[in-house]
Amino acid sequence: MSFFGFGPSADIEIVLDGQDSRKTAEIKTEDGKKEKHLLYYDGETVAGKVNVTMKKAGSKMEHQGIKIEFIGQIELYYDRGNHHEFTSLVKELARPGEITGNTSYGFEFQQVEKPYESYTGANVRLRYFLRVTIVKRLSDSVKEQDIIVHTLSQYPEMNSSIKMEVGIEDCLHIEFEYNKSKYHLKDVIVGKIYFLLVRIKIKHMEIQIIKRESTGTGPNTYNENETIAKYEIMDGAPVRGESIPIRLFLSGYELTPTMRDINKKFSVRYYLNLVLVDE
Amino acid sequence: MPSTPQLSPQEEQEKLLEEGISIVKNQSFQMKRCLDKGKLMDGLKHASTMLGELRTSLLSPKSYYELYMAISDELRHLELYLCDEFQKGRKVADLYELVQYAGNIVPRLYLLITVGVVYIKSNELSRKDILKDLVEMCRGVQHPLRGLFLRNYLLTCTKNVLPDTEEELATNDYEYGTVMDSIDFILLNFSEMNKLWVRMQHQGHTRDRNKREQERRELRILVGTNLVRLSQLECIDMEKYKKVVLPAVLEQVVSCRDPIAQEYLMECIIQVFPDDFHLQTLNPFLKACAELHESVNVKNIIIALVDRLAQFAQNEEGSGIPPEIQLFDIFSDQISQVIQNRPDMPPEDIVALQVALINLALKCYPDKVDFVDKVLETTEDIFNRLNLDHLEYGSPVSKELMRLMKIPVDSYNNILTVLELSHFGPIFDYFDYQSRKLMCSYLINNVLENDTRIPTQDQVDNILNIVNVLVQDQSDQPAEPDDPEDFAEEQVLMGRFIHLLQAEDPNQQYLILNTARKHFGGGGDKRIKFTLPPIVFAAYRLAMRYKEAKEEDENWEKKCQKIFQFCHQTVGALIKADMAEMPLRLFLQGALTAGEIEFENHETVAYEFMSQAFSLYEDEISDSKAQLAAITLIIGTLEQMSCFGDENHEPLRTQCALAASKLLKKPDQCRGVCTCSHLFWSGRSASQEGELQDSKRVSDCLKKGVKIANQCMDSSVQVQLFVELLNHYIYYYEKGNDQVTIQVLNQLIAKIKETLPNLEANEETEQINKHFQNTVEHLKLRRDGSETEGPSYEELVL
Repeated sequence: MSFFGFGPSADIEIVLDGQDSRKTAEIKTEDGKKEKHLLYYDGETVAGKVNVTMKKAGSKMEHQGIKIEFIGQIELYYDRGNHHEFTSLVKELARPGEITGNTSYGFEFQQVEKPYESYTGANVRLRYFLRVTIVKRLSDSVKEQDIIVHTLSQYPEMNSSIKMEVGIEDCLHIEFEYNKSKYHLKDVIVGKIYFLLVRIKIKHMEIQIIKRESTGTGPNTYNENETIAKYEIMDGAPVRGESIPIRLFLSGYELTPTMRDINKKFSVRYYLNLVLVDE
Repeated sequence: MPSTPQLSPQEEQEKLLEEGISIVKNQSFQMKRCLDKGKLMDGLKHASTMLGELRTSLLSPKSYYELYMAISDELRHLELYLCDEFQKGRKVADLYELVQYAGNIVPRLYLLITVGVVYIKSNELSRKDILKDLVEMCRGVQHPLRGLFLRNYLLTCTKNVLPDTEEELATNDYEYGTVMDSIDFILLNFSEMNKLWVRMQHQGHTRDRNKREQERRELRILVGTNLVRLSQLECIDMEKYKKVVLPAVLEQVVSCRDPIAQEYLMECIIQVFPDDFHLQTLNPFLKACAELHESVNVKNIIIALVDRLAQFAQNEEGSGIPPEIQLFDIFSDQISQVIQNRPDMPPEDIVALQVALINLALKCYPDKVDFVDKVLETTEDIFNRLNLDHLEYGSPVSKELMRLMKIPVDSYNNILTVLELSHFGPIFDYFDYQSRKLMCSYLINNVLENDTRIPTQDQVDNILNIVNVLVQDQSDQPAEPDDPEDFAEEQVLMGRFIHLLQAEDPNQQYLILNTARKHFGGGGDKRIKFTLPPIVFAAYRLAMRYKEAKEEDENWEKKCQKIFQFCHQTVGALIKADMAEMPLRLFLQGALTAGEIEFENHETVAYEFMSQAFSLYEDEISDSKAQLAAITLIIGTLEQMSCFGDENHEPLRTQCALAASKLLKKPDQCRGVCTCSHLFWSGRSASQEGELQDSKRVSDCLKKGVKIANQCMDSSVQVQLFVELLNHYIYYYEKGNDQVTIQVLNQLIAKIKETLPNLEANEETEQINKHFQNTVEHLKLRRDGSETEGPSYEELVL
């Protein structure tokens, strides 16, 4: 964007209030790297300062106005051009004019609604960011700053255990039980597998956490499954009557909250998969 | 695909193990390096990789064990490091949770156990809860081999941290746990391990069964360690053992229905827990024995227990078996229950159980003969029920039964006590001929070795009934006769045995001899020659006893008379069996004895015995050598006797002389008459005082001898006879027989000297020469000696 002679002659910096004291969180970027940003919750005010620093001391810069936006958007990777902004707030920082020397503008988006959690998935990304634009005649100077949003949820009123008897007729009958049907991100899955009938030679048994990300709607729904965890819970072949304990700590895995139909654009759900491998 | 198909299975194992060990070495090295640098998470990662080696299915139990040992050594290092860190206050938060992220269960659980123990040792979290958690989580490994070793690791690591305090003392320290928690912990681990161990049996191909069973036996110690650990908990007292520990263990053992496990674990229980616990829990234990799988060798288990308790009863002086415990009855009942539960039990095992029982009875209740008898009775009942008899010699059941029967014999070392066992004798009927004979010899040998005297008629009757196989022919004996040497040996035993039949009271002794006579009398010709003579001798001895104690018994003379009648008849039996020399000797011995006892009629009896000897000599002895020997004996006997009056002595001695001169061979005649000459010299008659000293008759005999010698054709024999005659002459000359003069001696010497050099030089001649030289030497000594007594040798020409 910067051409010789016409490039921005000023640096833009967004400094958020409480930068040093506020909690941060990590998020993956599209290319799998991790970034650390400040963490906000729904309804929290996002405020700070925008510093415009001249590159050459004493020079001036003409502009058509300076604004800051707070944007929450969903990016579908297969639809790069279209970003669906579900939140977009604008504040004007300066009317058109001239900046002489370094200038600082305060801003505040009061009690911003942040309905969804930041998310980077296989096919979709939900991000929040601030964008400062210095409007100029030829090319605008733009600076973006990401923040991360975590949503809070209440403990479910009902959280019954999952108990089920499954099997292959005359081969294998098992009953499994997980202590809850809803787990939080640092939860522990506790359960057991009870073998009612074993007529096959089992080599081992593992529990898998499967993450299913659905994007799009209707016939264009696209599902992406990812195995987050593979956890061996049994080695060798049990006999009838054996019960095998399950205990799986979740905090070690990269999990996100379950997301249902976020802005009608995507969902993220988690499944527990019990796998028995025979000889 | 095997990379090197030419490797033998063993080499394959070695190679795999070597590979595993080298990975373990490498990873443990890296683990230690990380730990040294304080990089715990990296260290754990290496530990986990190292533990991944234990996931293998390729190693044999033996190789797996070696790998396991190598790894558990390295894990100890990790444990020490963590304990150290915790002690220094550098606790790693949530370590117990952290190690559980390991994706594979085997490494995860090893790590969890290691960390769990570190937590226990540094008093993090509740000890009791950790133990419970660990033992529960281990359920995840259902592979028998890997599961067994994992749980063994659990057991090893927790060895010194199991709570061992009484419940009531631990109320304020709930977290710490009590001995009950330890018991639950071990019992659960035990039953899980046992299940895994049993499961091994049912995996893999049937053709590998032997190999599999071998492998299982190699692993049994892992399961048994649980019981060892239980036995090491000090707070397990009798109550807890009886109510909690043993029932749970037995429940598991019985319900697993696996012979190898049952056999091993029952023995294990016996070995690891103390005797007084066993004493208090005999019933449940033995009951469990009855419920074991039919192919379990219950006998060995019970025998092991009996042996232990028997030893306990003997070792602990004073304490011993508590009187309220009816040890014998309990065992007796439970063993019969076991036998009843197992209709297929081989009879030798049944007998082996009785052996155990009898050992128990003898060791714990040495003075209770009826216990032993009860065992024998039970044994007899069993044989009856099973319809067993004629147990073949060398068969297992026969061997066991022999063992059973020998126990009371050996332990009492007294046949009289053995006889108190009313069921001892009847059991002999179940043996076959061969076994019966061996057993009987054993019994009699025991009597002989211990020099046991049998003092009553009933006992004698009893024993002889038991050892009947050695006394009489048997209905089941083989057609082929026994080896003559063995037979003789056996019968000699019986002969020796007869000498031990000794009553205090002579009347009882008489009854004893009569009984023995009745038994042995039916033994047939081949046996009586061994058995009747000792009876006759015993009878003669008895007669002597009556004489010695004649003051005490006014009827002694009649009794002696009866004894001699008994002997006469007994010797008669020997004669009927076509024997001559032995009866002859017995008659002569009888005559001697009768002559000495001097009871009323003794002369008649002695005369009868002598005349019987004569008729045997005349009618039955035909061999010339035997004749000479016999007549020499008769002469010798008569010479010794002094009970005969002239009217009896005269015919006897004349008869002797006559018989001697009628011998077939000349040399025999010569020697016979020479011997006979002594009858006329030193013989005694009741009619006159002192020796007969009939010089004339002596001289006649000798002259006759010389005459006969002269008739001998063989010059060598002739000279020999002359030398012998010379000796006789010298004897009489020295005794002062006036018919024997120095001239006679000179003549004889001259004759010998003349003939001797003409003899062919050989060994015989040399002997004759020597005899003569010695004789001459004697004479020289006499002649030149200073002795004044005796006749003069002055005129002797040498």
